[in-house]
Amino acid sequence: MTSIEPLILGVTLHAGGPAHGLAGGWRERWTSLIGALDGVAEFAVLEDGFARPDGDGPDAALLANWLAPRAPRIGLIAGAALNLVEPFHVSTAIATLDHVSEGRAGLLAQRLRGPRNAAAFAAIGRLNGFAEAGNEAALDRDITDAIDAIRRLWDSWEDDAVIRDAGTQRYLDGGKLHYVDFAGEVFRLLGPSITPRPPQGQPIVAARWAPGAGDGAAASADLALLDVAHIAAFKARPDAERALIVAEIAESDILFAALRQAAEAGARAVSVALSGTPEEAQVFANRTVPALRAAGLVRPAAEGPLRRRLGLPAAPNRYAAAA
Amino acid sequence: MSRKQVILGAQFPGVNNFTVWSDPQAGSQIAFSSFRRFAETVERGRFDFIFLAEGLRIREQKGRFHELDVAGRPNTLAILSALASVTRHVGLIGTLTTTFNEPYPLARQLATLDILSEGRAGWNVVTSPGAFTGANFRRGDHLPYAQRYERARDFIEAARRLWAGGSFAAHGRHFDIAGATDAAPLPQGAPVIAQAGDSDEGRELAASHADLIYSRHGTLEEGQAFYADVKGRLTRYGRSRDALKILPGAHFVLGDTPEEAKARYRAIRLQQVSPKGAIAFLEQVWNRDLSAYDPDGPLPEVEPDVSANLSQGHANRYDDRLETAKAWRALAESEGLSIRDLIIRVTERKQFIGTPQQIAEEIDRHVQEDAADGFVFAPHLTPGGFDEFVAKVVPELQDRGIFRREYEEASLRGHLGLAA
Repeated sequence: MTSIEPLILGVTLHAGGPAHGLAGGWRERWTSLIGALDGVAEFAVLEDGFARPDGDGPDAALLANWLAPRAPRIGLIAGAALNLVEPFHVSTAIATLDHVSEGRAGLLAQRLRGPRNAAAFAAIGRLNGFAEAGNEAALDRDITDAIDAIRRLWDSWEDDAVIRDAGTQRYLDGGKLHYVDFAGEVFRLLGPSITPRPPQGQPIVAARWAPGAGDGAAASADLALLDVAHIAAFKARPDAERALIVAEIAESDILFAALRQAAEAGARAVSVALSGTPEEAQVFANRTVPALRAAGLVRPAAEGPLRRRLGLPAAPNRYAAAA
Repeated sequence: MSRKQVILGAQFPGVNNFTVWSDPQAGSQIAFSSFRRFAETVERGRFDFIFLAEGLRIREQKGRFHELDVAGRPNTLAILSALASVTRHVGLIGTLTTTFNEPYPLARQLATLDILSEGRAGWNVVTSPGAFTGANFRRGDHLPYAQRYERARDFIEAARRLWAGGSFAAHGRHFDIAGATDAAPLPQGAPVIAQAGDSDEGRELAASHADLIYSRHGTLEEGQAFYADVKGRLTRYGRSRDALKILPGAHFVLGDTPEEAKARYRAIRLQQVSPKGAIAFLEQVWNRDLSAYDPDGPLPEVEPDVSANLSQGHANRYDDRLETAKAWRALAESEGLSIRDLIIRVTERKQFIGTPQQIAEEIDRHVQEDAADGFVFAPHLTPGGFDEFVAKVVPELQDRGIFRREYEEASLRGHLGLAA
């Protein structure tokens, strides 16, 4: 067998759904789950259950903020259904996660489909400034717009905007705050953010991709989450260069083969979908992952800012004047 | 008869000139370590809750970002969720607008916080200025000013339907929504609802829908009048006098002697109102560029400009600029005040200044004489602003038998003595 570059290991967890509804024991379950995975997986993708019919569960971004202080190493990529919520609130929630976790935050840009998308729009109502529930192209465009607006807000404070300068009696250098003045297809957003620039500058943005299903978001993301079978198609896209390919695979006994296949196809990372029981996470952390490491398929989890651990370049601030 | 117990809220020092950033002890306004240290201190002091204000747009003056005061804050619900992780007892109340949120997403987030914190979530319901703040949101300036309380009331009612769990629906002028959630049962049934508006409509909304009021009536007499007015409105809604707690916002300055406290107060006020800060404040009323004036000199002779507004996003609004200017001139002339002295005077808020014993005694008096059920205190320093209060004032209150020595209840509703 050809040798492969060990993959970055992540996990995908669902904040909603039957296993993670809000019934009793919920805090304990998440505490032991994240405890088992901390230091084992490089990151956890927390899929949000907005309007999920089998249990909408907790808000994933708030769950991530709660988990961050009790799991000091794992990256936390929180999901948000961007067509249904305010980009401004999402931007500050993820920026706050980056401050709380000291640089381990990410955002999964979720695009709801089918009956769940319809249910989600029924839950917020028909509102100006939102894309039409049934217009797939408009929803795709709106996701891309929302990501763009969120990223601009993260840059809207320069790193050194807070000056605390007694001489001029100024706390802030207003010249280092910037209007983002974003004009999307269905909404405008002026800015700047209320939250100072997050430690990573730009928290990680992840998005799913499948052929023919609205693909702008994944191409503008840092992480493209996709099925192993779709890696070749994604790589053939002209704009696929910047996103790091993350193969999402199910936890099953073909895991070893699937990882090798993903690596050979060009994935740099893998996100293993777990059902979310603490017992499963224990087995995964204590048995599966050591075996995967021994086989040279995944690399050990590192520490520090998630962006650096994923091998992504430092994020320059688009608004900062060139030095 | 047993004495009324005091409720204590702790406001995280935020975006206004009361937060002193120029002091050597002033720490980060955004690092989680600041929030954690603040929360751990007030939990050690057995406070009922932490209180966070909200601002969804950076304040502006003369077409520029306001540079003189603290600016920048975390997302309210996100930081409260993180604090829920590192505390066990203290309540967590966030200010969140009904103008730029929708019921399903926000009620679901508040339910999340209530579950994460095991029953410690609270929501201070506010409305936001439409055009200024709306520029940051999808819906923009969508709400006529006159309908802001109507929307707030309908919002709370929709949220309560959501918190009941299962299917929910609301059909009316502001909301046409339907869906289902599994966010039930919540540890508290529903998060604690706070209300801060002081208008007649705001008071009525509090009487019909809120569990506590965050008020601005600091003196004993004003407090008693407000307390009687609001508590008197409760019977109209079939609610008991104990169902709504009244908590004025207040500040404090401690000293080992009364003289020391007064001297510290003066020093803090000078930090809060810097020379440039005094001019900036005056400009909000005069609505003119006054940067050429000497802050240690007399007030401008020119009259305020009564045309469009120079500053945006500030909580202080002076509806009648000419009247305000006239009154300030009279005050400055009769007492020989400079611009800075005058601003220090007219921006004073309720302050408890004195020794720990004096402050405890005054808090006790306000509560026993029905001017308040307690206070929401805002210290002037981040993150250590409550260190001294917790070490010195809290034991005085405990010795008087009017404040808990240990947490006795699990939930915020329990701390406040509210029915679930």
